[in-house]
Amino acid sequence: MRESLISAKTISVIKKAFREYYFNQSKAIEQPLKMEQREFGYMHFRQAGMLRHLSFKSMKELDAMLVREAPSDVYCSNAYYRFPTQQPMQEKQWLGADLIFDIDGKDLGMPCLPSHSYSVCINCGSVSPPEQNDEERSSYSCPSCGCKNADHVSIPCSKCIDGSKKEARRLMNFLLADIGLENSAINIYFSGNNGFHVHINDDACTSLDTQARSDLVGYLSGTGLMLESIGIRKTNTEDLFSIKFPKSGLTYGWRRRIAEKLKIDMTSAIKLKNIVNQNGGYKAFRVELDRLAKDMGVRIDPQVTTDVHRVFRMPGTLNSKSGLSKTKSSDLYSFDPFVDACLLGDGKVSVRVKTPVRLKLKRNSFNISKESAEMPAYAAVYLMCKGLAEAY
Amino acid sequence: MAGSDLAKYPFLNEAGEYLRESSFGWEELDRPDMKYIIDRAAERIEMEVDGKIYDNLERYEIEILTFLISLVIVKSIGIDQVLRKFALAEARRAEKFLTEDLRKQGEIKRRSVFTKIFEDLFKLKIVISEDRRLFKVRVVDYLARASHFHEQEWKLINRLVHNGYVYLDADETVRLIRNELSVLIYDKVKAMSLPTLPQGIKSKADQLRLKLLSRYERRGSAAVTEYPPCIKHALEVMNKGDNLPHSARVMLATYMLAIGKPLDEIVLMFENAPDFNEKITRYQVEHLAGMKGSHVKYSVPSCDKLRNENLCFATAECDGLINPVQFGRKKK
Repeated sequence: MRESLISAKTISVIKKAFREYYFNQSKAIEQPLKMEQREFGYMHFRQAGMLRHLSFKSMKELDAMLVREAPSDVYCSNAYYRFPTQQPMQEKQWLGADLIFDIDGKDLGMPCLPSHSYSVCINCGSVSPPEQNDEERSSYSCPSCGCKNADHVSIPCSKCIDGSKKEARRLMNFLLADIGLENSAINIYFSGNNGFHVHINDDACTSLDTQARSDLVGYLSGTGLMLESIGIRKTNTEDLFSIKFPKSGLTYGWRRRIAEKLKIDMTSAIKLKNIVNQNGGYKAFRVELDRLAKDMGVRIDPQVTTDVHRVFRMPGTLNSKSGLSKTKSSDLYSFDPFVDACLLGDGKVSVRVKTPVRLKLKRNSFNISKESAEMPAYAAVYLMCKGLAEAY
Repeated sequence: MAGSDLAKYPFLNEAGEYLRESSFGWEELDRPDMKYIIDRAAERIEMEVDGKIYDNLERYEIEILTFLISLVIVKSIGIDQVLRKFALAEARRAEKFLTEDLRKQGEIKRRSVFTKIFEDLFKLKIVISEDRRLFKVRVVDYLARASHFHEQEWKLINRLVHNGYVYLDADETVRLIRNELSVLIYDKVKAMSLPTLPQGIKSKADQLRLKLLSRYERRGSAAVTEYPPCIKHALEVMNKGDNLPHSARVMLATYMLAIGKPLDEIVLMFENAPDFNEKITRYQVEHLAGMKGSHVKYSVPSCDKLRNENLCFATAECDGLINPVQFGRKKK
């Protein structure tokens, strides 16, 4: 939601709730490892751009800033620097960076998404209820001012969260079985809106450069798997091939995954040949294998993992897109972001709701069809952050 | 390590120690019997600069001296490209012997090679696989090296990966350290300070410099006649007025900057973008060109990166390319 369209009163209510959170729940904010080597940044409500290149030597210093400024969003670098506040970037002297993966619910193509996506006019802030079909979405026109452009705001449903959890579990499987990370090195956080950030705490990974991280992303997302890896070798003649299994076998990793999917093993040369032919030959099967691997891979944002100078939302801080907190999930199965990450207070706030809306937070259901309503701060802030309600 | 090993791996510190122990001095290089070694060294350099591997093996005393003198001559030639080619060929020479050692030798010999070369020099721990047919390296150690190789078969996804290890055969294990070997030799020469050279070496170095100089004169770059498919695709999307993702815009702008398109023309290429704002676009393109902000000039994203970001639309003509700027320029 574009903050320029949010009223001063609304901002003031949100900011008050954020400040209270930072005052009362400072223990929820996780101290980053080697804090003094990190770059910090934060944003103010209604101000474009981020204040970056900051350094906090202790949590006390950081907590004081959070209560004083009540920022909209707070970030900390994945990188460790000798001089975190220096500019330009190369003056900081990069020492390494945590390996982080980002699973974003909105990138998963969930079929339920349109049913809980609201269009918020970028000109006047009017809200239209979820569109029924793609046609309605593409022919958007604001009912109040006729503007053709809108931000699409989603109230993720439990299916969206389950979709992200499924990706996170798939990522865990790759990281444990293939990459050999310890369970204790993998920390999963709810992003504070609609996804998960997976932080790796393993010294060996911190020195990996962008290229190495990009190769790892390719592995995890199933990009670039060659037919030769599973024993299908192209001959010089156009589209002809032969089968010769790799001497290291098909027992592990991607080779095992594909072998299981195709139901082949090291003795199935003829079967594999038939599979390739049934799919239309070498070239056609290459396309099919690509599709299969992408399907079995993890949907992570490649840009996030390969950026070794990025600032990330800090664990325990609030996300201004929702008012929910970036919260660690120690058990993905039982983790419920709408309970476990909903940490704002429950003092009553009066709001004017821009569209009928349903949501469930802290196990309480809200089904608001009236224009004005009084509700607990955590729910009011959630709707105001989404641009679906205003304080009055 | 045995003397025969030092002949194969003369870059090891032990080879230098051998010379020190034998109290060999520069003045001895003017002795008539040293001409044979100086000629060998020059021959070695010439072959290696041509991309061939000098794999003659004589007595280790001769090999160590030949290697040392070839370093001196390369340093004295003073052409960086010659040094790079020499260092790479020396690395490939060592690679050849290492592969043979790993394939043919028994367990004790293998362990000694692992320790002396892989672990001591390059901090790379090699483990013999459970069935003793293959070698294993940690995934992170593999990524740190192989992610810089351009062939698709080296991508982690095309390797057997299990429980934190990548499984490799002898050739592949040794290939992993080729670049480091090459850098080791390159750095050795860079760090050398030359004394006044004996006449025999000086005249040899002068001859070689003269011979090689013409090869490395600056070559002009070829003009681009056709855009690569990734760029064509981005331009099509842009011309239709559709929204092009940020990463595709960076690709487009850095590519156009790399082929020398004028800045004004690049800015106008974005005018069909739904959110086009000339002032902002100009600032962003200038930023990528290194004229604004951090003054870092951004390079064109590699084909690998574009593949990961789903911006690659490779055709057969892209085979063998590692960066879109090579399209239409590189001979296959």
